Amino acid sequence: MTKPTADPITTEVVRNFVISCAQDMNAALWRSAFSAIIYEGRDSAVALMDEHGNMLGQSTGVPLFVGAIDACVKLVLERYGDDIHPGDIFILNDSYLQGTHLHDVTAVGPLFYEGEIVGFGAARAHWQDIGAIDPGSTMGSTSIFHEGLRLGPTRIVSKSKPIREWYDLLTRNTRLKDMTIGDLNAQITAIRTGERRLGQILSRIGSDVYRSACANIFEQARQLDVEAIRALKDGTYYREGYLDDDGVGDEPVKVALSLTIEGERMIIDLEGSSDPVEGAINCGAVQTASLLRLAYKTMINPDRAITGGSFSTMEVRIPDKCMFNAREPAACEWYFTGLGLLADLMISCLGEAMPERATAAHYGDSMVAAFFSMDEERGQWISVEPTAGGWGGRVGSDGESALINLVNGGFRNLPAEVYETKFPVRVEEFSLRCDSGGAGRWRGGCGVVRSYRLLEDAFAALWFERSKTTAWGLKGGENGQGPDNDVVYPDGTVEKQLKMRARHFPKGTLFVTRTGGGGGYGNPRARPADEVLEDVRFGTVSRDQAMARYGVAITDDLSIDTEKTLPREAEIATA
Amino acid sequence: MAGRSYRVAADIGGTFTDLVFQEAATGHCDAYKVLSTPENPALAVIEGMNRYLPADATADFFVHGTTVGLNAVLTRRGARVALLTTENYRDIYTIQGNDRGEIFSIHWRKPRPLTEIPDTFTVRERINAKGEIETPIDVRELDALVAAVGERGYEAIAVCLLFAFKNPAHELAVEAYLKERLPDISITLSHRVSPEWREFARTSTTVMDAYVAPVVRRYLDTLVSNMAATLPEDNQLHIMKSNGGAMTAGAATENPLQTLLSGPVGGTIGGRALAETIGRPNLICVDMGGTSFDASLIVDGEPSSSNEAELEGLPVQMSVVDIHVIGAGGGSIAWQEAGAVRVGPQSAGSVPGPACYGRGGTEPTVSDANLVLGRLDSSNFAGGSLSLDRDKAKEAVAKLGSSFGMNAEQMAQGILDIINAKMADAIRTITIRRGIDPRDFALVAYGGAGPAQAAALAAQLDIAEVIIPVMPGAFSAWGMLQTDVRHDFKMTYYGFWHQIDAQDLAAKLGGLEDEGRDYLRKEGFDDADMSFERAADFRYHGQEYVLTIPIPPGPVDMQAVRSAFDAAYDRQYGHSSPDASVEVANLRVAALGHLKRPGVPDPMVGESGSTRSRKVYFAGTEHDTAIVQRSGLAVGSRVNGPAIVEEATATTLVPPGWRAEVLKGGHMLVARQQEGTA
Repeated sequence: MTKPTADPITTEVVRNFVISCAQDMNAALWRSAFSAIIYEGRDSAVALMDEHGNMLGQSTGVPLFVGAIDACVKLVLERYGDDIHPGDIFILNDSYLQGTHLHDVTAVGPLFYEGEIVGFGAARAHWQDIGAIDPGSTMGSTSIFHEGLRLGPTRIVSKSKPIREWYDLLTRNTRLKDMTIGDLNAQITAIRTGERRLGQILSRIGSDVYRSACANIFEQARQLDVEAIRALKDGTYYREGYLDDDGVGDEPVKVALSLTIEGERMIIDLEGSSDPVEGAINCGAVQTASLLRLAYKTMINPDRAITGGSFSTMEVRIPDKCMFNAREPAACEWYFTGLGLLADLMISCLGEAMPERATAAHYGDSMVAAFFSMDEERGQWISVEPTAGGWGGRVGSDGESALINLVNGGFRNLPAEVYETKFPVRVEEFSLRCDSGGAGRWRGGCGVVRSYRLLEDAFAALWFERSKTTAWGLKGGENGQGPDNDVVYPDGTVEKQLKMRARHFPKGTLFVTRTGGGGGYGNPRARPADEVLEDVRFGTVSRDQAMARYGVAITDDLSIDTEKTLPREAEIATA
Repeated sequence: MAGRSYRVAADIGGTFTDLVFQEAATGHCDAYKVLSTPENPALAVIEGMNRYLPADATADFFVHGTTVGLNAVLTRRGARVALLTTENYRDIYTIQGNDRGEIFSIHWRKPRPLTEIPDTFTVRERINAKGEIETPIDVRELDALVAAVGERGYEAIAVCLLFAFKNPAHELAVEAYLKERLPDISITLSHRVSPEWREFARTSTTVMDAYVAPVVRRYLDTLVSNMAATLPEDNQLHIMKSNGGAMTAGAATENPLQTLLSGPVGGTIGGRALAETIGRPNLICVDMGGTSFDASLIVDGEPSSSNEAELEGLPVQMSVVDIHVIGAGGGSIAWQEAGAVRVGPQSAGSVPGPACYGRGGTEPTVSDANLVLGRLDSSNFAGGSLSLDRDKAKEAVAKLGSSFGMNAEQMAQGILDIINAKMADAIRTITIRRGIDPRDFALVAYGGAGPAQAAALAAQLDIAEVIIPVMPGAFSAWGMLQTDVRHDFKMTYYGFWHQIDAQDLAAKLGGLEDEGRDYLRKEGFDDADMSFERAADFRYHGQEYVLTIPIPPGPVDMQAVRSAFDAAYDRQYGHSSPDASVEVANLRVAALGHLKRPGVPDPMVGESGSTRSRKVYFAGTEHDTAIVQRSGLAVGSRVNGPAIVEEATATTLVPPGWRAEVLKGGHMLVARQQEGTA
């Protein structure tokens, strides 16, 4: 007897289901997580897979995780094969296997229906403390062994029963015991939510029709990709840039990318990028590939849900010896630092293949400010937050200001009123950083100024990047400003710091952080004078820079001085 | 003594204004539709009252839902607002949450704020997290703002200073200084409109109030004066609030923000009344019109609500009945890509509209599919105001079907299957996020398109019972007659629950109750007609999201409330941590003023009309289907499927194997027939 198959109607019903199921799983995770970085920062991702670990539907708060979770399921399958039972939960965080830092713990669970395995659910979340050399995130690690507890695919719940020894091991290897177990439970809740929802649809259509629908979905997604890549201009495009340093040394670190379009194939090659580095900016190959999928997605059908079969026409080549192909014992804590730059490079390459979507670069990295105290008497606390910055301009639109970086996405800033209630820190300023966006016919967006004053002695650490290769402009647009931070001691001494390993500071120390702006697009002298006037009124461009960059003179009472204003030029400089 | 007295409700929509008249003595209701008059919505209401209220009758209670405030926001035609913030926080409303609304888009732009940086002023002052004044305010710095009001013509000022919810002294000082110099300007203080933390959300709430205040007040003044002749002098006009309660026009003038989501809550409140009448405490209410599909929940007899809403992407901190808008309706378009068939989210809207409207639309829609399957009456659509072209519908559906080897009827069924599954997914999402199993619920369907789709939707969700209430086409207006006056009071109250002093807590809750009592007295309520519902927002230490847990009347049993939180947490998330510390974040009191209202009588039975039938497709097969007039059905009457129950504003589909039965109050239950009872 032939197995029943799915018609186009059922296929579409299943496709909608896998998307909404993944969203429900992630909602369950966000709503029950214990760490702010998950429920506020949305530093998580979930996915629904078929029984071979192929991605069907996913929902992610952090776009960077697009397409890296299925690899975890395949690892669990390789290791455990037939020894997978209803109610089992596996976790892993190995940087070389799943690609990111050890904080990102992926939980994987089989989804059973009527005694048969029909798929997998997976939920990845950022655990605040994984027992590294520093509380929270390490800033100066040079080996994976500084970065905390490392787990291969590990069964921690067996047939719905938590394995006590593993829970014990986890709690002994973190400074935040309740939070860690709370977050793990939230991840398990997400997987159970997926199993329940999958059971509901299977009771209606049966597992044979479901599998057939999944096969159709894979094929449809592949076809969409093929159509999209065929529409691009054939050719090879190349870009390179430099990271400031690797976090421990002073040398710039080269990142290079070439992108080739050949008919329906897209080949991305990272040849020319730096060898593995001593500092913690190495990244596993799985996560590198995931980032490239993200960059692809920003340019091609960004409004479509990602379902199974997406990205199948993309081929990624990473040299064996490369910072983007980390091997033991390379340090990976800040694995995403190079990825922000890599994404901008790929977006610029794609912009040449599809000029109508070309967009100047954004401020580029997470720009993390961390404060914490391990003081037994006053209580222990950790605050780690990324900071927003400026985005690139493009034809028809200025870049957006004060928006979180590409690889983060759903990250929201912590309100000052919440921050100050929870931590002995005062947020003294939060505003747009004037003149930080690159000048252009279409101006780059502004970064922000965010200042923190310690109200008690505490530790502080900073990770700010992209001061060397700042957000670049396109077609005559100028580069955005890079980051610039001041540490102001109580005695008034000022110190410049971008990347700073955790250090102890006295009460009263002020940290003024300033993030970079986005790149401009097109000739600044083509920007209409009244738009420059608006910039000045909005505080995004100063009067000085209005003249210096745009050639527009603004009077004391904020109107255009037509005499002194230089004539407007063509949008795209013909040089 | 005049003749009969009536209670009147008006649901003012974009195209039609629905009016429901309820005779106070008997509870009998009649519904009417008049064309809306968007430039002055009161005109339609007055016209309807003049035309349909019997000559010897008086209207002694009037309640309505208004979209005036909402439209001001949607069309950006609110007041010109100046915003005042703490120094160094000028850009707070522009920066917003700094998350990207579409995480895969590098071109995403933030929602446009209602007032911009050049209209933002700052003042040097600072209150700290404990509510202590760190930097005293010097109100003379406000002279720049005072001058600007004269020069730039601001109509309203929104004031949001950091930690004002902890200590309002600086906001009050600002108000006093400005009032003296600018007596005619509307001023909104953040601690009054929302005494809750999170400065961006509170700023957004404050600006939104300032933005709609002058518009809503103008509207209310007009309405009150226009209706003075229609309403007896001592009776006040009531307006529905976003929280599902009602308030007087006087209260609305003070709380214009509360009218923002006043329109659609009537249906949910109608659902609550329905839950009581028919003895089903758990309901999923769906309101399906042409372009959108609104879903809300009644859980344990009460509407599910939230303490924060979002409008045009901007947050609003206020209690709202949860209404989820889903982009699926009669106008949703079916299309194809990459060998797949998709339905929505694009809609044909009303212009060009579905192919069957004959207004130039050629793409097949959900309405076209319903028409192809014989489920809509082509001559009696929207009360006969529009006649539908079945041939055009069939042509459009067949064309799409040919790409998939399906005939028109198969394709039409497929379109409905997909849209029903999408709606079912959306309903599951709503319920799963609340830890609820939809199978434990009955589905209430209303709006023009709801009753036709309801049984199929219920089948998708394994829901056994569908309720088609009385007046499904005017159910929101009907629901407004079932409401009480309700005002919500709140304060941020942060600490570990086990360290909270029960007496201090009781005193704080008592203070909120006193505020509520004073307010209701001002609206003319006797103490005997008031009640208070207390609640607090809780979370485990370290979490951010809260669950709102009721606190029963009387002395607070700290342990019982704690256990109730653990239980609610477990219900929602499937696990709880009874040993972990619990934080309280906000206290809340709802002050209810009970309105006297008659019960809902059983319907009077009219003529059953001639027996008609037509061919209708169900699950791929054509069935001879009886057409029954709802007005001819008495309580207890049963109609076996396949059948179509018709009334003026809606068509209820009873599929084969299902049966309709008229319940108490005239509401209709549609359920699967039990074995052997058919």
